[in-house]
Amino acid sequence: MLLKTYLTLVLLFNCLTSSAQAKSDSLLVRVQFKFDKAALKLNSSYISAQKDTLVFDKIKFYLSDFRIVYNDNSESQNVNTYHLIDIEDAESHQFSIGSESEKEIIGLKFNVGVDSLASVSGAMAGDLDATKGMYWAWQSGYINFKIEGKSSSCTTRKNKFQFHIGGYLKPFDALRSVHVNFNGKFNGNGKNQVNLVVDLGSLFSGISLKETNTIVIPGKEAVLIADELPNLFSMQ
Amino acid sequence: MKKIAILLIFGFLTFGIVSFSKSYFTPIYLDIPKGFPEPVYDFKNNPLSEEGFQLGRNLFYDPILSRDNTISCASCHLQQTGFTHVDHDLSHGIEGKIGTRNSMTLMNLAWSKTFMWDGGVNHLDVQYLHPITSEVEMDETLSNVVKKLQESPKYPSLFKEAFGTDKITGQLTLKALSQFVVLLTTSNSKYDKVLRLEEHFSEMEQKGYAVFKQNCASCHQEPLFTNDSFENNGLALDTTLNDIGRMRITQNESDRQKFKVPTLRNVQFTFPYMHDGRFETLTEVIKHYNSGIVQSPTLSKKLQQPMQLSDHERTELVAFLKTLTDKEFLFNPRFSYPK
Repeated sequence: MLLKTYLTLVLLFNCLTSSAQAKSDSLLVRVQFKFDKAALKLNSSYISAQKDTLVFDKIKFYLSDFRIVYNDNSESQNVNTYHLIDIEDAESHQFSIGSESEKEIIGLKFNVGVDSLASVSGAMAGDLDATKGMYWAWQSGYINFKIEGKSSSCTTRKNKFQFHIGGYLKPFDALRSVHVNFNGKFNGNGKNQVNLVVDLGSLFSGISLKETNTIVIPGKEAVLIADELPNLFSMQ
Repeated sequence: MKKIAILLIFGFLTFGIVSFSKSYFTPIYLDIPKGFPEPVYDFKNNPLSEEGFQLGRNLFYDPILSRDNTISCASCHLQQTGFTHVDHDLSHGIEGKIGTRNSMTLMNLAWSKTFMWDGGVNHLDVQYLHPITSEVEMDETLSNVVKKLQESPKYPSLFKEAFGTDKITGQLTLKALSQFVVLLTTSNSKYDKVLRLEEHFSEMEQKGYAVFKQNCASCHQEPLFTNDSFENNGLALDTTLNDIGRMRITQNESDRQKFKVPTLRNVQFTFPYMHDGRFETLTEVIKHYNSGIVQSPTLSKKLQQPMQLSDHERTELVAFLKTLTDKEFLFNPRFSYPK
């Protein structure tokens, strides 16, 4: 019976979304990876403001709880969506957010990471499935932002640096909210898409890899990195 | 108009499939034993079925979960000993590698809020990730487990029977394991039967029960024989392990050397005892609480005074603890290796 109700709801939802698409009032978000001014790719080297030379092997992070901000400062309802952005998976670099209004879109709000409710709810599906390698085994909870790579500045084994930033328990809660203002750069009447830039150069301008190169558990150090994460995002 | 018609047809088809597939599942429910509290596990998110239980049982006993297909859950969690690893102080996993703790028992976990000796795991469904990915246990990844299951001749059809899909995911694999583990209920020990007025304690057991209630029951609360909390029970720090317990999770100094209060059900067979398996017999355990407590800032408030039991009382206490043995559970063929 439950399953039937659920499927009916799914069906209704399908009807709703298909009509929404007909009115083309959804916003396409494209994520672009950058290191300062340069496009960021795996296995290329970049030099940070700290004069560290970095090569990235892995960049994966969650963006969740997207809300569209309209010109009267109202916001679209949050729809509890989770997007796992993986630099290696081009399909994950773009996704649509439903908009319920014809009003002009002036900004976006979202979270970097996964909220505490999802972190305590057991085995999840889709982008939150533990097969995605973003769930801690020894201490429950999601890794919000995972960056791995190599730098000659690291005296670690194979010069590796690893940042697994996450944690949902206070006082080491690592979920951060982001508000990106379009500043008139986005014209709602044109094509409904935005380029959301994530700039790792900004993060590594504040990290000296010689001293800080391995953070793989929730805690004070992870919180300091988490505080910087909202600053990586901007609109282009 | 055309769109609506298509949707309607699609809808009817979906209903048809659902009504058909519904006949596959045989719903089952956790029996809450008399006197037990409401379970913690949320069955709404993982409705139990006989098919799900049997799938979980197959997974539990299958070494396919480990990197080299040698270690199953049952390697360290044997039914006849309350689903723990007897005779090993520290449990060993893949390639004979030794862990840092004694494997825990798996009993009445539907009533548990946290898992592992340090409570690092917050939900039964994600518990399995720990042994699967631990380098000294199964040293595998969940995504590779899913791949192996999907490619096996056996599992896609079992998942289809249990969940209505043969597309195996991490979520379904974990939920299937829970369908088995959450039903490992033990509630038919002599103690339970005495409470249900079906049997009588011997005089010695009765006296031991009184000693227990006086000295142990505040942490090992009836009827689960644990209060699911974390305590420092006055063990000297093993400097070869330097295990800080709960503090590793909370990073809070007040949790130093605190560990999960384990259930005492079937305690007669779950030796060795303590998180590092340092005591081999119940007599040694009682001796520790009687005169071996090491003082420290985080020592449990309930253990500030030694028990100072007489020799008689200690024997009586052991006699009582043995009434927590539930042979129906330990030898229930429903929980054993699937034939």
